[in-house]
Amino acid sequence: MTATNTFGAPVLSLLIFLPLLGAVGISFINRRNVGVIRYATLGVTLVTFLWSLQFYFNFDWNNQGMQFVDRLVWLPSLGVQYLVGIDGISLPMVVLTTLLTAVAVGASWPVETRVKEYMILMLVLETGMLGVFTAIDLFAFFVFWEAALVPMYFLIGVWGGPRRVYASVKFILYTMAGSSLMLIAILALGLSHAGGPTFDLLELVRQPVPPGTQALLFWAFALAFAVKVPLFPLHTWLPDAHVEAPTAGSIILAGVLLKMGTYGLMRFNLPLFPDASRQFAPLFAILAIIGIIYGAWVAFAQRDVKSLVAFSSVSHMGFIVLGIFALNAQGLNGAVMYMVNHGLSTGALFLLVGYIYERRHTRELSAFGGIWATMPLYAVLFLIAMLSSVGLPGLNGFVGEFLTVLGAFRANPIWAAFAALGLILGAVYLFTMFQRVFFGPITDTHNEHLEPLNLREILVAAPLLILMFVLGIYPNLVLGPLQTTVAQVLQMVGTAVALR
Amino acid sequence: MVSGLDFQLFLPETILLVGGIAVLIADLFLRERADRETNLAWVSLAILVAALVASAAQYGVSESLFRSSADPVAPGAFVVDGFTTFFRIIAILTTIIVFLASVEYVRGRTAFRGEFFALMIFSTLAMTLMAGSTDLVMVIISLEFLSITSYILTGYLRGNVKSNEGAVKYFLYGSITTAITFYGASLLFGVAGSTNLYDIAARFADPTAIIGTPLMSLVLPAIIFLLAGFGFKIALVPFHQWSPDAYEGAPTPVTAFLSVGPKAAGFAMLLRVFAVALPEFTHEWAALMIGVAMVTMTLGNIVALSQTNVKRLLAYSSIAQAGYMLIGVAGVSVANIAGIAPGEGGAGLAIDGTAGVLLYILAYLFTNLGLFIGVIAVDYLAGSDTLPGYAGLLRRAPFLTVAMTIFFLSLVGIPPTAGFIGKFWVFGAAIQNQLFALAAVGAINGVISVVYYFRILKQMWYEAPADPTPLRLPGTMNAALWICLSLTLLIGLFPAPFIEFANQSIHMLGVFVRS
Amino acid sequence: MNVFLTSIFVIVSVITLVGALGVVMARTVFASGLWLILSFAGVAGLYVLLEAPFLAAAQILIYVGAVAVLILFAVMLTRRVMGDPGVSQNNSQWGAAAVVAALMFIVLSLTSVQNWRPSTESPPLLAVNALGEAFLGPYLLPFEIVSVVLLVALVGAIILARE
Repeated sequence: MTATNTFGAPVLSLLIFLPLLGAVGISFINRRNVGVIRYATLGVTLVTFLWSLQFYFNFDWNNQGMQFVDRLVWLPSLGVQYLVGIDGISLPMVVLTTLLTAVAVGASWPVETRVKEYMILMLVLETGMLGVFTAIDLFAFFVFWEAALVPMYFLIGVWGGPRRVYASVKFILYTMAGSSLMLIAILALGLSHAGGPTFDLLELVRQPVPPGTQALLFWAFALAFAVKVPLFPLHTWLPDAHVEAPTAGSIILAGVLLKMGTYGLMRFNLPLFPDASRQFAPLFAILAIIGIIYGAWVAFAQRDVKSLVAFSSVSHMGFIVLGIFALNAQGLNGAVMYMVNHGLSTGALFLLVGYIYERRHTRELSAFGGIWATMPLYAVLFLIAMLSSVGLPGLNGFVGEFLTVLGAFRANPIWAAFAALGLILGAVYLFTMFQRVFFGPITDTHNEHLEPLNLREILVAAPLLILMFVLGIYPNLVLGPLQTTVAQVLQMVGTAVALR
Repeated sequence: MVSGLDFQLFLPETILLVGGIAVLIADLFLRERADRETNLAWVSLAILVAALVASAAQYGVSESLFRSSADPVAPGAFVVDGFTTFFRIIAILTTIIVFLASVEYVRGRTAFRGEFFALMIFSTLAMTLMAGSTDLVMVIISLEFLSITSYILTGYLRGNVKSNEGAVKYFLYGSITTAITFYGASLLFGVAGSTNLYDIAARFADPTAIIGTPLMSLVLPAIIFLLAGFGFKIALVPFHQWSPDAYEGAPTPVTAFLSVGPKAAGFAMLLRVFAVALPEFTHEWAALMIGVAMVTMTLGNIVALSQTNVKRLLAYSSIAQAGYMLIGVAGVSVANIAGIAPGEGGAGLAIDGTAGVLLYILAYLFTNLGLFIGVIAVDYLAGSDTLPGYAGLLRRAPFLTVAMTIFFLSLVGIPPTAGFIGKFWVFGAAIQNQLFALAAVGAINGVISVVYYFRILKQMWYEAPADPTPLRLPGTMNAALWICLSLTLLIGLFPAPFIEFANQSIHMLGVFVRS
Repeated sequence: MNVFLTSIFVIVSVITLVGALGVVMARTVFASGLWLILSFAGVAGLYVLLEAPFLAAAQILIYVGAVAVLILFAVMLTRRVMGDPGVSQNNSQWGAAAVVAALMFIVLSLTSVQNWRPSTESPPLLAVNALGEAFLGPYLLPFEIVSVVLLVALVGAIILARE
């Protein structure tokens, strides 16, 4: 891989730090001007989103290396740099992040308490996430990784549900435990580099790590990422965090933060530790399959809509991990596609669950029924998001699911069989939920006069739903720029060359 | 006769000594004046700033003072080198920040306000002396000097039972460890036949003189006994039992001071004595440090989990923090200290353990003092030092809460804060020395510490305040808070110059390494 | 070492140790103070055996004559301690004491079985001169700093003790 910057100007750094600059600006606004703060934050996130589209349109699909690279030497004595760039894997994640953050801010209008702090934290979080998806230097990556962790802790803890304290502490403990070992591994990797210490990923992949150390370092990295994904059996923080987080927090958490884990596996574990990756791929695939089926099973038993969606995430993220550790082109392409799809569909589901929660202040399945009659538009939107999540052909979800299962099949047909079982279970619990909420007689009188969706709510949900159709019909928008990078990752892992 | 009486090089200590006495005398004459505290505080501050400037001016100097002969190479009882300069600056900075935070606090709490300032200046003197001592006699006297000032400052609130209890425990524990340290020093003197650290190193380096005789078996007890004294100052496990009581009982500014100043000075002395006098035994004392570091981190963190008094909690936290610093000591390369650059014969390493300790201390200084300014402010304005007293601080003092949050993140070692750079460096030093287990224990301890740090954060951010009146910090406290906050972030975001400073400061004059 | 010196050493050591034991085991603080004088005197005897007569004299003058007497005065002025002899003066942690004593014994035996090189220099006849020169020579700095330490201790005593 090589690093190029065709612009000669720090366009990418501008993208990463635009939200942070916005946060600094907002900190000067008087806290009583809640409206100004909301619109200013939305403006910042929208500008960031538009700016991120610029990268999509200027991205060179055939360039093998990192593009839009910015480099700044940070600690000369250790070769630590601030080094960011975009390739085929990071590109969709960057656009997804900016889009979902804008959506999340749009969904935060009902937040009434401490709006200023809330919005500042959202923007700091966005900078952290964008940094994670663009950092090429491991040191810089770690800084952004941790920087994305802390705002989420406060978002859950201050603005979350009744058990927010427990959920936020659990969230931070799990992720900190993972990342602290990753720091040790980063140090060991960077300092043992022959020819002077460096933390530049592009330098490090050139030099193979000795097999014994490789396994150890692989696990230190993989643990941090597996907690974040979350991979079974490290998933127990996720339902708590999701259920207690405010709507916007859930959207970001499911849509972007979980992807940091799978992105990390793809970006760091595969190229840096190819031997260990091949060695442990079956183990990870099996854990992923257990997660797929377990998540679906537990989701089926949930009485709370939000925790149902949360457990469905455990199941869906299992598909992504399975795709990655299929270690072939279909699997990896499918995994990235799935990451985007899951961001859109689960983000939309959390958003829509948030809408109904704001009206009824409950999420119990038993409290609903017959909503189709009172809120038909809402029901349609929910149906689209759900069908995308289930993987109906024609919508985006199908492409990702198909590719990951195909990849799994090529790696090991038995894996694919179990994954397909997971697909069916997924359809079962989502349809059951949909049926109980939207069909049947109205059992609760509160449901008779629900306020219809307002313009803001529709506008916030619209981009997600439109993209579901667009990506379903034309998935090449994601898969196109991905090909060269995936081929390169596979080449580094030393398995099958990508099929074209 | 004595040579090397270069008073210019001894200027910081002279300023502190004369300044401390001047404050004592000035207090006598100002006794009847209403504005005497303010005046005395500003005079004391000016003295400290002058000493700081005098210390900083000696950046790059490397010379031995109070030599017993005219030979300029012969080592004396005190040395001014990069290492001394670093710890002089650390000591004086600590006192300056504590001063700023305590001017308002001390007012009205004790009748002896002038003496308080004078004692703080004398403590600073003791710490600068500890940094540069190169003779066992000087080592012990400066150690005892700092101890005595610390006992007095801890027991300063005469009417307060906890303050008295803390001081008595501190004193009893200190007396016994001092006795043990004396014994260790006498063992070392007996084996090597000199109290001068350089002479001791020279005796050990000469294979015909001592090596090979069973006398060596006395060096290890000597190291352990000396460690008792240094570990007492630093509050390393198992010499830490005094610290929770002393920290809880002492006036809060003194607690802030104790948690940083004596710790840093203890590390200065530990590194100096072991690197200068016992480079031949690096393996032995470095191995000892591994064990002590592990126990110190783990015990400090685990006991901190169950604390409800914030000062006590921070006492245990600072024990754990000292454990992290000790990771750096375990990864020390004496070759680096001697100024052999990395790469020359493969002697040095890219990340030096000593530089890690210094960097960590620098980061810890601003982080922990910043945190304690918050504790002082809450104690001073809301009269509480227990966890519930911090409930809803976000609404009462938003800026203070955000600042304290950043300090907590820095103590955990989350980037981009100073604490992260410090941890990065000590862990890096351990990994370069293949001490993976030590680094892993450190990393796991970092996670444990999250639990109790975030318990305070929880109070500040999540809970509703019992009394929602806003807290207004006095100007001096705010100034101190800004200094700490900006440096915590500055070191975290632009660490390069600070790392360079630490790398330059590890060089000790005349450390001898046999190749 | 001849038998005479050895037996003197044993006697002096026993006096020192018995004095020290008396300090920790005495029933009243006052008695502890008295035992302390005996122990101090024994140490002075050890200095004599080590051919350091000046130190021995200083020990008698300062520790036996001044410090111990001062302690006794302080004890006598503290009414509550004088009037309440029933309370044990130590914490009866005999087990811990035994462990520490055993460890100490190991270190001490290590010290005494060493192959020490006896000094070939004869001790100076007038140790006071050498001592004075050392204080104003190589040990000038510690000597001066000690005076500052005393000043600080004085200030501290006033702060802590004055009503």
